[in-house]
Amino acid sequence: MTGDTGMTSLDQARELLREFPVVDGHNDLPWALRKQVNYDLDARDIAVHQNAHLHTDLPRLREGGVGAQYWSVYVRSDLPDPVPMTLEQIDCVRQLLARYPEQLAPALTAADMESARGEGRIASLMGAEGGHSIANSLGTLRGLYALGVRYMTLTHNDNVAWADSATDEPGVGGLSAFGREVVREMNREGMLVDLSHVAATTMRDALDTSTAPVIFSHSSSRAVCDHPRNIPDDVLERLPGNGGMAMVTFVPKFVLQAAVDWTAAADDNMRAHGLHHLETTEEAMKVHHAFEELHPRPIATVSTVADHLDHMREVAGVDHLGIGGDYDGTAFTPDGLNDVSGYPNLIAELLDRGWSKTDLAKLTWQNAVRVLGAAEDVAREIQATRGPSNATIESLDG
Amino acid sequence: MADLQDQLHATTEVGELDDLVHEPFPAGVFPPDTAEPYDPVSDPAAAPLERAHAILAAHPVADGYSGLPWALRHLPWFDLELGESSVDTDVPRLREGHVGALFWSLHLPEGLDGDRAVGATLEQLDLVNTVVRAHPEGLRLAYTAGETTDVRHCGRIAVLLGPAGAAALGDSLGILRSLHALGLRVLTLAGVSWASEAGLTRFGEEVVREMNRLGVLADLSGASDGTIRRALAVSKAPVLFTRSAARTLRPHPANLSDELLAAVGAAKGLCMVPLTAEQTGPSVRDVADHLDHVHEVAGRECVALSGTYDAGTAHPQDLADASCYPNLIAELLHRGWSEPDLALLSWGNVQRALRSADFTARAAQQRREPSTAKIAELDG
Repeated sequence: MTGDTGMTSLDQARELLREFPVVDGHNDLPWALRKQVNYDLDARDIAVHQNAHLHTDLPRLREGGVGAQYWSVYVRSDLPDPVPMTLEQIDCVRQLLARYPEQLAPALTAADMESARGEGRIASLMGAEGGHSIANSLGTLRGLYALGVRYMTLTHNDNVAWADSATDEPGVGGLSAFGREVVREMNREGMLVDLSHVAATTMRDALDTSTAPVIFSHSSSRAVCDHPRNIPDDVLERLPGNGGMAMVTFVPKFVLQAAVDWTAAADDNMRAHGLHHLETTEEAMKVHHAFEELHPRPIATVSTVADHLDHMREVAGVDHLGIGGDYDGTAFTPDGLNDVSGYPNLIAELLDRGWSKTDLAKLTWQNAVRVLGAAEDVAREIQATRGPSNATIESLDG
Repeated sequence: MADLQDQLHATTEVGELDDLVHEPFPAGVFPPDTAEPYDPVSDPAAAPLERAHAILAAHPVADGYSGLPWALRHLPWFDLELGESSVDTDVPRLREGHVGALFWSLHLPEGLDGDRAVGATLEQLDLVNTVVRAHPEGLRLAYTAGETTDVRHCGRIAVLLGPAGAAALGDSLGILRSLHALGLRVLTLAGVSWASEAGLTRFGEEVVREMNRLGVLADLSGASDGTIRRALAVSKAPVLFTRSAARTLRPHPANLSDELLAAVGAAKGLCMVPLTAEQTGPSVRDVADHLDHVHEVAGRECVALSGTYDAGTAHPQDLADASCYPNLIAELLHRGWSEPDLALLSWGNVQRALRSADFTARAAQQRREPSTAKIAELDG
């Protein structure tokens, strides 16, 4: 579409992103680097295009108008020893920062994000994906914070002892007493509580407990597409009161109902081949592709994602939205949002749907910076009155 | 190596998280000038104990090993500022003993050295951070030689993080780098597959090189002879023995034979003599005998002190807690130790080792990328 200025929507989107670039809530590049090349960063030099292997590299992040990225330091939740592996993931991000200092800026605060934007570098933050990464220890939680981790998703696909996951059987029924203490301690440190992946019961308990804004680093709307990874409306409605934000994700198997059904069948197929259903190795991709030959994959589009944003905006308000693509953490991506260069297409679609530039600036940049800054303020306030918590899961959950 | 100075520049932003060296040009760039003029600070005519206090006031003790973190872990409440009778170390006694810096051990008790070692070490680091922050008038964390001196100039006691046990690495150099980022500065090379009785494996040698690149000192107390010899050969930074005395005088497994002491001297390492009845003997004189011996065999630049308080061992008479260092220095004065040698023993040698570690790291970072070696690839 061409506006009054004679610019296409896409041109306008790019111009907008130059001023207010995308803060993306979740990118699994570190895990992809671990799986593909065992952290041999020479083998995947992201300063040049890595289209054949990755959704993410620096040229495409630039093209996509990304100004800040939460790098996920995810480790699998079904392995026995998550803490050491999490430290390796953190080391991977730190190595990336050391290798590409002209493109990536280490960021620990909202102010760091703004400085990076001013310098034209991509602010790089870290998020831990799953409470298993702290092994039931608040000391380890503080260690992760000290290493630069600025959000933690309370669970991944499996329950932890103190919080229920969206994709597991009900366990403690939301957050246990220790789970609530984890949330309070995250508030005290200034680490954002991420409620993607958690059960709706956990979302509600966390909202009841947290005194700082919460985030959903990569989740969409359950009313638009009924998948447990998405956010129910009653929870979205609480975001204005909490001050937090929901960062819409693009993963087709969460946002498009036909893809939800197709994925259930594909996962069964992966398991039948003895593979973990989240595997993205070349071998696993082959199995995926073979399945796809027989069962054409339903295609999500930019418009599918925009439908979610339209609804979430209606329920939570434009001050509580963001974007979390989950690139390199998912086998498939929507048409038009194929890799990290695609964000302008989404912004163009939203412009066509009548979103104002003011609203879009909030969606892409301002909300995320505000939320991290607010968490810092809350932390400062708490630290003035309360020391680190010594609670253990044994003492609180018995 | 002086030509390297042109290449030195501030590290990239990621380095800021590292708490790496901040000073542009550490003094360790050049070997310590042994002929450096020394201004006496004590009156030779005064009583030895009085002189000891005067010397330590100018050259405080840098104590190589304190078991305080684990000891505090089980106290429900403590106040190190006010004084804490359930441990051997608190701020008043550190001040009385003229302790200016101490290494806080992150060693874990047996049973925690397997898979849980990484997480347990994170908890130890967190505890130290919490304790030091809770005592800002007395204690301050230091990560480099320069910061250690700074802390002293601020009238605080510097706390350095380490030694930790090798198991804390979980056999991964990525974890080593993360622990370094959290402040770890000393690692004991014993009790793991790559640093065992058989010596260092290829991965073990790579760990030492990566430690050099980061500025993490190797501690070889309790390491096997094979590991010690290999580490002395591989390490470009001085190695420490945070708790080792002379085996000739007392046959404890962690004590060093004369041959090894000479090798430590040749490599300009540091033998830090523990004040424990088990390793050195039941009296101040026994400890002094060990110091005399190490001083003679390893050399004046290679001997230092290690209180080993709060580590669950008995201490010699008159050296019961961290306030007692002047008694030991008085004994050494009595035996004819010179003031410059005592200054090296208490403070100077540890400073030199820290500075060398800083400089080695800076130099190595110009040449080497972070190592991507994996134990499975090197040790098969």
